[in-house]
Amino acid sequence: MIGQLVVEGLAIGACYGLLAIAVVIIYKTSEVVNFAQGEMAMFSTFVAYHILLHYHYPFWLAFIITMVFAILLGVAIEFVFLRPAKEPTALGLIVLTLGAEMLLMGLAGWKWGAEQKYFEIPMAYNVTHEPIKGIIISDWAIGVFVVAAVLMTLLYLFFRYTRLGVAMKATQQNKNAAKIMGVRVERMFSLAWGLSSLMGAVAAMFFASRATLDTNFMMEPFLRAFAAAVLGGLMSIPGVLIGGELLGLIENFFGYVWPEWKPIVAFLVIVIVLCVRPSGLFAKHYVKKV
Amino acid sequence: MKITKTVCTVLLAVVCMVAMAQDSFAVQPGFDGKEIRIAQWGPQTGPAAPWGSVARGSAILFNLINEEGGIHGRKIKYFVRDDQYNPAQTKAVAKELVERQGVFAFVGGVSAACGMAVKDYLAQNKVIWCGPSTAIVEYVFPPQKYLFGVYPLYEDEASILTKYLVEKKGFKKIGFFYQNDSYGKNGLAGCKQRLATYGMKLVEEIPVEPAEKDLASQMLKFKNSGAETVIMWVNPTTAVIALKTCATIGYKPQWVSSNTLSDYPLMYKISGGLFEGVITGAFGLTPDSSNPLLVKYREAAKRMAPDERWGTFFLAGILFAEPFVEALKKAGPDLSTEGCLKALNSIRNFQGIGPEVNFSEGVHQGTDSIQIQQCGPGASYILLQDWAFNDLATWKKK
Repeated sequence: MIGQLVVEGLAIGACYGLLAIAVVIIYKTSEVVNFAQGEMAMFSTFVAYHILLHYHYPFWLAFIITMVFAILLGVAIEFVFLRPAKEPTALGLIVLTLGAEMLLMGLAGWKWGAEQKYFEIPMAYNVTHEPIKGIIISDWAIGVFVVAAVLMTLLYLFFRYTRLGVAMKATQQNKNAAKIMGVRVERMFSLAWGLSSLMGAVAAMFFASRATLDTNFMMEPFLRAFAAAVLGGLMSIPGVLIGGELLGLIENFFGYVWPEWKPIVAFLVIVIVLCVRPSGLFAKHYVKKV
Repeated sequence: MKITKTVCTVLLAVVCMVAMAQDSFAVQPGFDGKEIRIAQWGPQTGPAAPWGSVARGSAILFNLINEEGGIHGRKIKYFVRDDQYNPAQTKAVAKELVERQGVFAFVGGVSAACGMAVKDYLAQNKVIWCGPSTAIVEYVFPPQKYLFGVYPLYEDEASILTKYLVEKKGFKKIGFFYQNDSYGKNGLAGCKQRLATYGMKLVEEIPVEPAEKDLASQMLKFKNSGAETVIMWVNPTTAVIALKTCATIGYKPQWVSSNTLSDYPLMYKISGGLFEGVITGAFGLTPDSSNPLLVKYREAAKRMAPDERWGTFFLAGILFAEPFVEALKKAGPDLSTEGCLKALNSIRNFQGIGPEVNFSEGVHQGTDSIQIQQCGPGASYILLQDWAFNDLATWKKK
């Protein structure tokens, strides 16, 4: 039973981690907590659903089209909502993302209705293996682990070895210095939103295939992802993935012993981490940039 | 200064006149020689929009009545308002319907929270409310003069289902998975009450918050308890996650649910077929029933609302409104609120497409009966047990 709890905790934790990385990519470049993150991912998943249902494309073609759409959606939201704001405060930016969230929910509800939908990915939840007696692992869980590992590695390589990635890091560290060095910081912001939207869409497809697809389905996972991001450290990409895994494990073990308290564990974690280590477990201590 | 005072006085007078005019409209009886105004709120948009079909379903019954000449020469004018499953919005639409449209009565009305938000307001304005689309004891106990329930209570439903599982299916180890609110807890209470009569206890009872997306630990707990059957009193999304999680961890209990998941085509579709085999309670006949009255409604729906899916909740809109239409007929041509209340209180053994309904001065909960159905291949309906009442219903013994 403990082994099974570990597998399930790590699988859902990897999903939280993927979504938390999406949160962190935007936070790292522009220090905005994007409250539309879940709904951006929800909207992209609906696009994938629409392509699969109405155009009957193979899944992987629909997936690629959806990823392109997700990047464009992220860029568009940054361009339409964030960029026109003149000298915005942090609170002002958060309100703008809340506005984007409501707009996306309204649009999705209008286009696809409120009824739940069935969404399927090739890594099926009901195709299972038993590598060790008593521990069952599904294709869905294997898929989550593989995708999280691959995306993590790609992000590492991107930020470490590509000019674009280095420019994004420079923008995050010192916007004005990056500007002087010829980095077009507005483009870096757009790119961060696009990349973040892509990561969120991948996570949302895993969530939708394990639950149902509807306009509200990403609200709760977003809160968990935010908790994972706080736990891992809002500035550390590997940290938030580990934060997601830790959260998944804590929730599952806690939920097994005290199921009625399971929903509050994530928020308890946020409070404890903020009190004990405000910058998270894996990030350097917060220093205000001047 | 003098001019300002005069302007203020005139404005105040106008405001008072408008307010008085609205008040005088509010006391209108809700009908005239040609029409009776009836209304319903329901979520036509927002997260609970799938249940909005209840309000649209009632329109089929009223349109049929009007086609047949109305009730004692009066046609029914029916108003549907979208409250988006939001109690604040329900208050606003109820106020508008009562004070501006002057409605005589409400039928249906989805959501316990939305209903509770306007229950007292409707009673204060002496507006009849028949057949709320949810089953909470606060509606009918103690009996409210203007409120009549048609929906079987969750406590009764859980009790009947448990009896079926123990006596007909022979299950010894039963688990209960419930939404952590009055809906889930009422179901749990009914199940426990029934089990106590057999000297049995639940092997596991686990609450869940409606928005939870990861149910692995809860399902593993049921698996570990050895529960042969799990009764779930949850929303559709939670049910689907539970079924999928169990498919992942290799746990196959007999799933049983309240009538809230009895829309088999929807549940079958969104669970990818995992809903097949699930047993549910049912407050109405199956949508494909050959009952002559139901066939009549089904044909009318095809004609009047060809784009609507003839599902459980659309049909429920008719079912909840039927006893009120019966009361209007019984009240006779000399209609009044008091006359209609008297007619409602005198309804005995009324049989529409739901369970038998009985009201009296002291009991405004019309039924304690359900059918038991099972989701068959391709989301078909299999009738396992016809109308059965709850012999343990505590409210009947008060």
